[in-house]
Amino acid sequence: MAAKKLRRAKLSQELCERLSRYQITTCQDFLCLSLLELMKVTGQSYRNVQKLLRQVSLACAPKMQTAYEMKVRRSVNPSSAFLSTTLHSLDKVLHGGVPCGSLTEITSPPGCGKTQFCIMMSVLATLPVSMGGLDGAVVYIDTESAFSAERLVEIAGNRFPTYFDSDEKLFCMTRSIHLYRELTCDSVLKRIKSLEEEIISKKVKLIIIDSVASVVRKEFDTKLQGNLAERSNFLARGASLLKYLAEEFSIPVILTNQITTSLSNGLAIPADLVSPADDLFLSEVSGASGSGKKESGCVTAALGNTWSHSVNTRLILQYHDLPTRQILVAKSPVAPFSVFFYTIEKSGLVLQGLWIKWLSAPAVLLCSACLPQMVPMAGFYA
Amino acid sequence: MQRAVGSLPLGPALRARLAAAGFQTAQELLDTGPCGLSREIGISKEEALEALQVVRQECSGDAARTAGGAGTTRKCTALELLEEEQAQGFIITFCSALDNILGGGVQLTKITEVCGAPGVGKTQLCMQLAVDVQIPECFGGVCGEAVFIDTEGSFMVDRVADIAAACVQHCQLIAETHQEEDHQKALETFSLESILSHIYYFRCRDYIELLAQVYLLPDFLSEHSKVRLVVIDGIAFPFRHDFEDLSLRTRLLNGLAQQLIIIANDHKSAVVLTNQMTTRIGQSQSTLVPALGESWGHAATVRLIFHWDKSQRLATLYKSPSQKESTIPYTITPHGFRDVQPPAVTQNTESTEMNPRKRPRREEEK
Repeated sequence: MAAKKLRRAKLSQELCERLSRYQITTCQDFLCLSLLELMKVTGQSYRNVQKLLRQVSLACAPKMQTAYEMKVRRSVNPSSAFLSTTLHSLDKVLHGGVPCGSLTEITSPPGCGKTQFCIMMSVLATLPVSMGGLDGAVVYIDTESAFSAERLVEIAGNRFPTYFDSDEKLFCMTRSIHLYRELTCDSVLKRIKSLEEEIISKKVKLIIIDSVASVVRKEFDTKLQGNLAERSNFLARGASLLKYLAEEFSIPVILTNQITTSLSNGLAIPADLVSPADDLFLSEVSGASGSGKKESGCVTAALGNTWSHSVNTRLILQYHDLPTRQILVAKSPVAPFSVFFYTIEKSGLVLQGLWIKWLSAPAVLLCSACLPQMVPMAGFYA
Repeated sequence: MQRAVGSLPLGPALRARLAAAGFQTAQELLDTGPCGLSREIGISKEEALEALQVVRQECSGDAARTAGGAGTTRKCTALELLEEEQAQGFIITFCSALDNILGGGVQLTKITEVCGAPGVGKTQLCMQLAVDVQIPECFGGVCGEAVFIDTEGSFMVDRVADIAAACVQHCQLIAETHQEEDHQKALETFSLESILSHIYYFRCRDYIELLAQVYLLPDFLSEHSKVRLVVIDGIAFPFRHDFEDLSLRTRLLNGLAQQLIIIANDHKSAVVLTNQMTTRIGQSQSTLVPALGESWGHAATVRLIFHWDKSQRLATLYKSPSQKESTIPYTITPHGFRDVQPPAVTQNTESTEMNPRKRPRREEEK
């Protein structure tokens, strides 16, 4: 929208020519100037310049819709609003599953099951709508080379044995998952930019990026000067591109992130704890911080504050009591904090029967850290 | 009439020619007439006529202003302002503690900024206000409509529907206990569909769309004169990346703030902005501060900061011209933005620690 040429904003030909002499060719250039500057470059009076501004704004401004129209549109097509994760309790809390049209982030320490979750979601997206899927292709951008096609087939065969009863169906499913291996930040960004055409041509219904944190943390060392700003820039650009794709095509986007330890002798401790659910205690605290006390070495989701603003939903996976792990809903516009326990089986993630609903956050922390048994806590609405 | 030619809002080329020809005051231009002007300066008669019309309009505007009539500059006494402010409505937030520290609720004709970490409830408050502004007057609302400008994509229609349903239910309960006729009549028009159809939603993907939308907002508000709330959810998001030229950013933000102040005043509506938090890396530690820099802090009249304290959500009134700095807890339920039960909460002494740069107010009443 910003790069729209002024000609297409219905300004007169001679005005466009005159403006191009001052290097003002797009709507962006026009709207960034102050009124006095505009008077100078267009040579028109104050009132005329205001009229021109209104005209150019009309060309750029978004369309208005009332909330009612949006609701009606969603209710007409309810199945397209979510991608069910087939983890029944999680779906109920998230009001249907992973929401379409927004970014969902899965964060966890290594080995908890992020890639397993992503592979499982890829299978689910290719299922027909009657089975809760989106009946479409999947774009899987893999930066860690962790995707295993054999595991994909194993999950599909074990989770839906009645549907994937023939090799033909399995091959059909695997053909619709498009895997891209990108190893640098630049190539990831280029790939995201090229996705718009791919989505239309291949009828893609799910985008997965596994993982954002690994490329970013490889290339940007935040201790060096200037790198923090560049990193935020890259992340913000990526996030806005992905948001645009998610909304334009109404598809879910799943990203994975890593966990970082913030040391007490370094920078940024209480500042980074943007929400209590970010303050995770692991039963195995990796590396340097040692003592595992609350003051030193608390772990948070990586990639910083700005990134946390960009994602709309955040799910955190953690170790609990091997082989049981837990999945936390940490940030969601529709769901409160909740915890569910799961294990990783042949058929992917399987929720365990016991789960605590409506936990207040301190209980979540205690559960994950020291106490292996469950401690019932005050309800969320107390 | 003695206004200098250089100060008239004509095109710069025309002004240059007038100066070169020796014209000094507006009166001279008017006396010359269009034909004389076109001959002297060498412009067409139509252009000369247009220029004279502009000059005449400007001068009559000036005259009206000096005569003390209703012009673009308003003049009134503090008493008139006091009466106006007292008669003005507030938009309640359904959290009585928050309404109390704001002095009744979100004030009309003022810009309120809500800053907070991700996930703390800024968008929830905006959605709640978009519903609350529509509460009919007999229930204590302002009976207006809402404009929601979304830059982050976090507006969830289903959530707004839930909040609106809870609000309608609340009003129905009030109507049942009071049993007054105008309550019943108001309830007929105050339904879920009507609430949702009076929230005008704009999705702006980058800062150019946001700027364009704010330029067009006065026209939109003139057409929809019942709008009493403009929410911009995420004013920081489009300005925080892809900006090499920080001075341009400051200029655009200031321009935006000015336009919003004009909109708030002219259309008697409240403007609510949400801002993000950023980490400021200091010498020994780093703190979370509102994004967009120091100069942006001057734009809003009232500033609220939402933050966490262990697992409790707190709201702090950081800047207000009439209310004291204080912190209250709040919570977010499936029905929306609410008080924490029980509502009796001791005043948090941390409120002065929140802002180390402000002098703490001393309690004078004991």
